[in-house]
Amino acid sequence: MQADRRRLNAPAGGTAPPVFAALPNTKLQRQTRTRKPDEHRKLFLQTGIVPSASGSAYYEIPPQSQQQTELLVPQTSSLKITCTVHGPRPLPRNAAFSPNLLLSTHVKFAPFATRNRRGYVRDASERDLGAHLETALRGVVIGERFPKSGCEVVVTVLEGEEDGWWAGSAEGKEGGWGMMSVLAGCITVASAALVDAGIDCVDLVSGGVAAVVHGAGGKDGVLVLDPAPSEHDGEIRAACVVGYLQSRDEVTEMWMKGDAGMQAEQLIDEAVKAASLARAVLAETVKEAAEIKLGKGDESAVPVNEGKGKSKDVVMTG
Amino acid sequence: MAPYTTIPLSPAELSYLHTSLSQTPPIRPDGRSPTQFRPLVAETDILPSTNGSARICFPDGTEAIVGVKAEVERSKQENNGSTSEVHLKRDRRMEQQNEDMEDRDANEGKGREGWVELAIEIPGMRDDDALPIFLSAMLTEALLADQGLKDALYINTRFHWRLYIDILLLSLPLSYPLPLLSQTTHLALLSTRLPALVSEQDEDPLFNDDWEASTYLYPKSNPSQTAQRKPPITLLVMAVGETILFDPSADELAVADAVVALSVTQSTAGLKLIALRTIDPPSRLTSGGIPNALNTTPVAAGAQQTALSSNEALKLRENDQGRSVWRPPRGGVKRVVLSRMIKAVVEEDGVGGEVMQGLANVET
Repeated sequence: MQADRRRLNAPAGGTAPPVFAALPNTKLQRQTRTRKPDEHRKLFLQTGIVPSASGSAYYEIPPQSQQQTELLVPQTSSLKITCTVHGPRPLPRNAAFSPNLLLSTHVKFAPFATRNRRGYVRDASERDLGAHLETALRGVVIGERFPKSGCEVVVTVLEGEEDGWWAGSAEGKEGGWGMMSVLAGCITVASAALVDAGIDCVDLVSGGVAAVVHGAGGKDGVLVLDPAPSEHDGEIRAACVVGYLQSRDEVTEMWMKGDAGMQAEQLIDEAVKAASLARAVLAETVKEAAEIKLGKGDESAVPVNEGKGKSKDVVMTG
Repeated sequence: MAPYTTIPLSPAELSYLHTSLSQTPPIRPDGRSPTQFRPLVAETDILPSTNGSARICFPDGTEAIVGVKAEVERSKQENNGSTSEVHLKRDRRMEQQNEDMEDRDANEGKGREGWVELAIEIPGMRDDDALPIFLSAMLTEALLADQGLKDALYINTRFHWRLYIDILLLSLPLSYPLPLLSQTTHLALLSTRLPALVSEQDEDPLFNDDWEASTYLYPKSNPSQTAQRKPPITLLVMAVGETILFDPSADELAVADAVVALSVTQSTAGLKLIALRTIDPPSRLTSGGIPNALNTTPVAAGAQQTALSSNEALKLRENDQGRSVWRPPRGGVKRVVLSRMIKAVVEEDGVGGEVMQGLANVET
C-alpha cells in the first residue's frame, strides 16, 4: 500500500483496539441470533440529507436490542452508511466523447468505522466494493439519455459490520462476511440517492444478503437472511449478496462466496427475498421524499406534534 | 477524437452479432458450439527459481505467466484482547481438542487467510485500477475457500509458509482476461512443490535439501479415501437472451446481456461452486443506433423530413426497444438464466469438469 504522505499517519504497524479490563466474574457471552431465519433487522433510510449534493441518502441498521452489559465494548455491530450523488454533470473539456453516462462509484470506510482502524487511502477491499456497486448501479441507470455526462456516487461507511465476534477466535474473523452486509447496504442507499438526484432509472435496485450457517449437528446448513456476522461467529459457510430489481425480476449484481454446496440456488433465493424486504423500505422512503418535494404531503394525516423527520415504521413485506 | 469505448464495432455490427448469437442454435463468429473452448497452448515448470510456474497462450495472442513462490514466515501470536480468563478457557479447550484429534490430521483448521498473497500485473494499468483489484479479489476468494490449501501451509505454531502467487498478463487486455489468468494459476498451483520438513514439533523449521523429496502443494494421487484436492478454476459465462455461451471472445462480450464469472473446484461429489460474481458487460458502454424514423438527413431534393421534438424522439426510441437498431442492454440477468448457467458448469458432464480434465492432462 502506498504511504500517505499528505497527512500525519497512524503508527505503521497498525493500531490495536482498546482492551478494557473486565470484572473477574464476567462471563463473555456471544450474542446469538434471536430473529427468525427469514426476518430482516429493522432499517432506517432517509434521503435528502446533504443539501449541496444532487442526491443523498442515509442508511442505518440500528442495534436491535439494548443489551445490559458491564463491558464498554458493544456486543453487536450496527451499520451506518451515507451516500451522495453528484450529477449528471458535464465531462471535462478534454475528456473523450462518451455516448452513455459515465458512472464512477467510490466506497470508503471512515477510519473509525471498524474495530481495527482503516487508513485514509482507499485499500483494495474498498475498491473491490466500489466495483461491485458500479456493476449493481450500471444495470439500473439508463445511461444513453445522458451522453457526454458523468455521475459520481460517493458512499461513506460510518460504521461497518464486523467480520466476527470481537472476543472470538481468529478463525471467526476470517472470511470477510461483514463486507457483504456492507455491500447490500451500499446498493440500497445508492439507489435511494440516485432517485433523490433524479437520474433516470429502469427500476429501484435494492441489496439483500443471505448466508448458509452451520446447522446444529446436521450436515445441511441453515439458510438465514440478513446475517450479522458477530452473531454467527465462525459459523458462516457461504454468503450471497444480490442487487435485485423486483418489478423486472432481474438481478444486476450477485456476489457469492464460500461453499454453499447443494443449496446454492436456495441461497440466491433467500438473498432475493432479503432484497425484496429492503425494497419495501426503499420504496416508502422514496415516496415520502417525493411527497415532501412536491408539497403534496397530506397535512391532516400527520399529527402536529410529530417532527418533520419522523416517519412511521414500515412493515416489511416481501 | 477517438471514441470513448474501446469496442471498435458500429451499432450495425453489434446488432448483427446480437441477432446471430440469439438464434437457436447460436451462430458464433468463429463457428464454435456454445460449450466449445478455444484451443490453448500450456506449459508448466518454466521458471526454475519458483516453487511452481505455468504459461498459457490463447490463439488470439493473449498470454499469461504465473509464478508461485513460498517463504517461511514467523507466525503472529494471536491476541484479540480478551481477558485472561477467556485465554485459560480456550487453552483448556484446545488441549482437549488436540487429544481428540490424534487420529485426524493435526493441521486441520490451523491455516490462515493472510498466508496467501496474490498479485496481478496487467500492462497499461496501475495496480490500484479497478480491473486488477477485481480480478485478484475474485481469484483470491476462490483459492481461500479451500481450507486444505491454508492447512498445507502450516508448519508449526511458530512458523508457516507464505505463498506468493504472481500473475503476469503479457499482452494487452483485449478481451476480459479472467479465464486465462485463472487457468494459468490453476496449472501453476498444480505444479507447485514445497520442500519436505525434516524438523519436528515446534523447533525452528529445517527442510530436506533434496528437491526430489519435496511434496506437492496439491497432492497428485491420493490413496486414502479423501477426495483429491485441486485448485479452483474460474470460468466466464455469458448470456444473450436465453442463450448461454462459454469462453466468449471479445466480439461476443461486446453484445452480451449478462456476464458471470464462476469459480468451481473438485469435491467428493463432483464439482462444487465456491464463488460467483456478475461482471459488468462491456455492451453497456456502446452507443445505440439511430432508428430510421429519427434520421434527419435530407433524403431527396424537395422531400423535407420533419424533425421530431425531443419528447417524441424519446418516445419513439423507447417504443422501439432496440428491435430495429442496436441499444445497450438495460436491467440485469433473469434468475432462471443464472441458475441455468450454474447448472451447466457444475453438472455431471458439464463444462467445468471438461476444463479441469483438460488442464490435468497438461502435466502428464
